[in-house]
Amino acid sequence: MNDEKRSASLSGAGKLSGGDYTRVSISGAGKVTGDLKAEALRISGAGKVEGRTEALQIAVSGSGAFGGEVVAEEMRVSGAARVDGAARVKELKCSGSYRVKESISAEYVKISGVLRVGGDVEADLFKASGGFEIEGLLTADKVEIGLGGRCYAREIGGARIDVRRGGYRERGILLDGLVRMFSGRGTAELRASVIEGDEIHLEDTTADIVRGTRVEIGPGCHIGTVEYSERLDVHPDAEVKKQTKS
Amino acid sequence: MNEERLISKKEVLEQMRISYGQLYRWKRKGLIPETWFTRQSTFTGQETFFPRDKILERIQQIKEMKGDHPLDDLADVITQHVDEKLQVAFDKLQHLKWFDDSILETCKVDRDRTRPLTIQETLCVAVLSRLRKAARSEELSLVQRTLAQRLDAGLLDRITEERLQLYLLRKRLSGGGISAEVSMVSIAPAKAVFDPDTEQVESVDLGHMLERIKLDLAKETVDGSAEQATDDDTEADNER
Repeated sequence: MNDEKRSASLSGAGKLSGGDYTRVSISGAGKVTGDLKAEALRISGAGKVEGRTEALQIAVSGSGAFGGEVVAEEMRVSGAARVDGAARVKELKCSGSYRVKESISAEYVKISGVLRVGGDVEADLFKASGGFEIEGLLTADKVEIGLGGRCYAREIGGARIDVRRGGYRERGILLDGLVRMFSGRGTAELRASVIEGDEIHLEDTTADIVRGTRVEIGPGCHIGTVEYSERLDVHPDAEVKKQTKS
Repeated sequence: MNEERLISKKEVLEQMRISYGQLYRWKRKGLIPETWFTRQSTFTGQETFFPRDKILERIQQIKEMKGDHPLDDLADVITQHVDEKLQVAFDKLQHLKWFDDSILETCKVDRDRTRPLTIQETLCVAVLSRLRKAARSEELSLVQRTLAQRLDAGLLDRITEERLQLYLLRKRLSGGGISAEVSMVSIAPAKAVFDPDTEQVESVDLGHMLERIKLDLAKETVDGSAEQATDDDTEADNER
């Protein structure tokens, strides 16, 4: 053994003790005990890191479980990933299923699969064309949601919030099926308690309160109260129970 | 529980003339502490409230400084984390005119020293300057010794977290025709309770003090290096 960084590959059923690695690849059923630090981590089988994970790149195409916090520059999930802590990832792309017990903070989040988060999601840009369930606050400068499944966030806040029917459609038939499988029925809608932003456009959205500067309530919306300061447009196929201008 | 006056998010935006985008961005950058957000149900529905004075002051600070500093740096200056190694050049301190010679003496800071001050020393100078009107000179020295001995890195971090205050207390003891007054210094969370016979001469909000130090010094170091003002309505153009 020398002190240089190693790379490791688990392809059968194996265990790897934590530490500092260059590349770690798990293609069988592998477990990393302790904290893992690596330049690249690739899980294509069933992999588990029991401690904290810090890596430049993480790719999960099989099933990956992370027992602690995950810190990465880039994380791509095309299989299923579960994080039992918080995820601090600069660029997060998920076309599979991704569950995070605590919060996500990122610069860029792109979801075309399914995302479940127990806490908040923070990003500069949040793009979703799949489904998501965010128990806390979803905040980004720009929130772009192309409704491709059931979407829920307790609160949404940012500069621009744009929600459209099946809009940002970028996935294939297979993923469509996957999204449906995970998100239950095919109903594609957004539910939120509060939505706040400077520019808001909503479609197929049910919310208690929408507050904004310029607000457009599009077709299929059911909104309790809209509070706006400059402009409000309501589509004939939308319901707004109460509106106030301040 | 808390008798602080509250202000709703909408009022904050109107009064400070900022947008939702800015407020949320600042929250994300950690410039506005999570603990200041209180959600309450009102007759118009759910609203977020903030401690009024704190949020208005904080936003004013951010607005004043954001032109000169990238937001991420600002977060370091304004928020909790205290860089233990943060040092303060003595001449910068002098610039701020916080203190007089006697305070320097009490703080054991040499007047013509060239070595920068540690954050602990700076805080000590600042606290003593605040107390100098109310406190006697032996009390000032007691405060100095308290800070010098107890203010290690651990306590520094707890200052903002636990909203620690420094209390200067006096208690009069009398009996048998003799009476004496005892001075005490305590570092305890805000709203600490003392026995009714104890007089609270003065209290200093240490977290606030630290913020002021970091802010003032940051202002001093600006020297017009207008970094790219990433904030504001430069829409983060993120087509990827």
